[in-house]
Amino acid sequence: MGIFDGIISGFFIALTPMNLMFGFLGALIGTAVGVLPGLGPAATIALLLPITYSISSPVPAVILMAGIYYGAMYGGSTTSILLNLPGEAASVVTCIDGYKMAQKGQAGPALGIAAIGSFIAGSVAVVGLTLFAPPIAEFALGFGPPEKFSLALLGLLMAVTLSGESVTKGLIIMVLGLLFGSVGIDPISGKSRFDFGVIELQSGFDFVTLAVGVFGLGEIFYNLEQEGNVEIVTTKVGKVFPAMADWVKSRMAILRGTLIGFFIGIIPGGGAVISSLVSYAVEKKVSKHPEEFGQGAIEGVAGPESANNAASSSSFIPLLTLGIPGNASIAMIFACLLIKGVKPGPFLIVEHPDVFWGVIASMYVGNIMLIILNLPLVGVWVQLLRVPYGILAPVVILFTAIGSYSIANQAFDLYALIAFGVLGYVLRKLKFEAGPLPLAFILGPMIEGSMRQSLLMSGGNFLIFVTRPISLTIVAVFALFVVGQAVFAIRRAKRSAGVQAAV
Amino acid sequence: MKKLIVGTIVIALAAAMGLSGSVSAQDKYPSKPISGIVPASAGGSTDLMSRAIEKVWPKYSSQPLVVVNKPGGAGVVATEFVVRSKPDGYTLYLGYGSGHDIVMPHLQKMPYDPYKDLVPIARISVHSVVVVTGAKSDFNSLPDMIAWSKKENKPITSSVSMKAGAQDITITAISKAAGVNIVTVPFAGGADAVTALAGGHVMLGAGHPSEVAPHIKAGRFKPLAVALPQRDPSLPNVPTLKELGINVSTWGSVKGVGAPAATPKEVVAYLEATLKKVTEDEEFKKIMADLDQPVMYLNGADFAKFLQEAHADYGKLIKELNITIQ
Repeated sequence: MGIFDGIISGFFIALTPMNLMFGFLGALIGTAVGVLPGLGPAATIALLLPITYSISSPVPAVILMAGIYYGAMYGGSTTSILLNLPGEAASVVTCIDGYKMAQKGQAGPALGIAAIGSFIAGSVAVVGLTLFAPPIAEFALGFGPPEKFSLALLGLLMAVTLSGESVTKGLIIMVLGLLFGSVGIDPISGKSRFDFGVIELQSGFDFVTLAVGVFGLGEIFYNLEQEGNVEIVTTKVGKVFPAMADWVKSRMAILRGTLIGFFIGIIPGGGAVISSLVSYAVEKKVSKHPEEFGQGAIEGVAGPESANNAASSSSFIPLLTLGIPGNASIAMIFACLLIKGVKPGPFLIVEHPDVFWGVIASMYVGNIMLIILNLPLVGVWVQLLRVPYGILAPVVILFTAIGSYSIANQAFDLYALIAFGVLGYVLRKLKFEAGPLPLAFILGPMIEGSMRQSLLMSGGNFLIFVTRPISLTIVAVFALFVVGQAVFAIRRAKRSAGVQAAV
Repeated sequence: MKKLIVGTIVIALAAAMGLSGSVSAQDKYPSKPISGIVPASAGGSTDLMSRAIEKVWPKYSSQPLVVVNKPGGAGVVATEFVVRSKPDGYTLYLGYGSGHDIVMPHLQKMPYDPYKDLVPIARISVHSVVVVTGAKSDFNSLPDMIAWSKKENKPITSSVSMKAGAQDITITAISKAAGVNIVTVPFAGGADAVTALAGGHVMLGAGHPSEVAPHIKAGRFKPLAVALPQRDPSLPNVPTLKELGINVSTWGSVKGVGAPAATPKEVVAYLEATLKKVTEDEEFKKIMADLDQPVMYLNGADFAKFLQEAHADYGKLIKELNITIQ
């Protein structure tokens, strides 16, 4: 069966009333989960797994799960923009300019462009998934420890671009993030680090707890201090939909974000996060007014949001073609298929073409449902800013607490959540931009682990990072970036020295 | 909007109260849903086995068994939670006999005694460790690879799921028994280790059948050996290490069910009998076969004996191989 026949048969499956209903249900639950702060797609899918036992065929079950997964990616930007609350790692970048936009009364355009960007990126990525899944999967396998090391290092460098006004403060925050990332059992030595005898710390901190605590709770604690005079609430809500000018500014960002997200998203583990970072850094570099980034630049929302949505679609490629789940949510979908007796992998397309093509076709349909669901809702979400802070804040805290607890079903995460909230408050007081913290937290263990794995593979030879073509390419990009920055800085210093000499 | 938010809170509270609804103690066991605590996150092999039990369980019991994932502290958090929970049969430990029960106590201090503080109810499955290589590898057997390494004086690289886990111990034992230099590269879990081998980044790998069998079937991996005393029922054509002249066998990864030590005898008997029916159920057998997890039921008493032996044997092996996590 060719691709064309395949996808047509897929649409016949995806468009049956029952599958349409499950797709819609998935999109709806996903949007809700994305919007509710702290509640993530992985925990939701885990909760719903037992329900799928009673669904007789695997197709609707997977359509439902997949809908929740990419639906949450759509909804995730909502809380990032409105409340400075990243629901998952890939939304951290969205907070930076999105929240600034909301504070300026541009929540509507920010939410609108995020939804439109997500729709375009999601649809393009599904087309890519349809046409190129198998060759791209082989490319993803080419990413071994040395390549992952180089890529994560590049990601960390990109995270510096988020550091706001002071690079020194950005670096301090980054080191803090790396430090938090090193808590727990080190897989290479098996030794537990910085656990202070607390068993819960052996598995390290959870990302959601850290990000939601530092960003969301920190923001709430900070606002509570403002004595009933909270800025985000009193600012005018402003226009609801992006203007033509916003669209013109964003369209290339969406396109670039889509491509970046599609390709980086296929790499198992951390692909979506790095793609949103790379997209942000690229947009800041190509922009004619980079100083607007961090102050509410719409490209800083459009690019990364497109990237993380494209990544969420392309992360299905390693699962569907290789049987390799790349992240926690995909692993849950993997489990759901296995319980139903369907083994994702290279034979999926032969043994269960209904599952393979049905799921892919459902993603086209799902993306359309999501844009229909989300665009009209933009107005509703914007109204949320009118809710008195005294009501909004406790509700947000309640949901973040439920979300944190649901990750590992342990009370310890609640204490950690509050502690990270206090940290976020302190950082906010000291005027630190917290963006690099959660990113360094994710990238640190990747960098450390893959570097030590690479060196074990090479017998301690550091040349392994530059003798493999993919790794060499990434290292070269890294070097170009650093040298470029240095030359730029020296020139600027000389020019200002020249100006002073002339005076 | 205000109404909506207030409504949401009311619903959330109602749901919370519904979940914790109490049941009077006089009712005959089981009179409420039973929690099955899994010491791993959803999607792993222990979780999949537990979900298979969860699915078939209602056929043989009036109350459902509900899987709860507690992945913290490499499994220790979940086991400690069961150890400290009320011994009333409503909190079970699914995956009893995992690495943190039979291997880890030899390497570090545990906050409980995995044998005295828990009562074994039944063994469900044993996951062997299968030694594999990539399909593009020049070697078709383990002895070939070992001969090459010795002749060229080059080390063999092998991905393992974690430091001092069952795979690491097996590969290190092969290295010692065959007198060959194998460098084990630990990853953050079985899936990562398998992915590294699939990409050809290491020469050798090891995994449970559930992790490697799909890749063997896909022609991406060549199976080389099984590290059990006998062949693995889920991979009957793969020789054991002993058959290849490498004197190594391990107990694999044991997956059973346990409960807090003070659980009443009649409750343990009920659970044991129900699990026996579940393991004999055709649907359960089919799911487990699809998962490449052989069903190897043992009753509570035999499982207890088996655990003691496996634990003692791993202790000897770890001492011999001088494996530490310091």
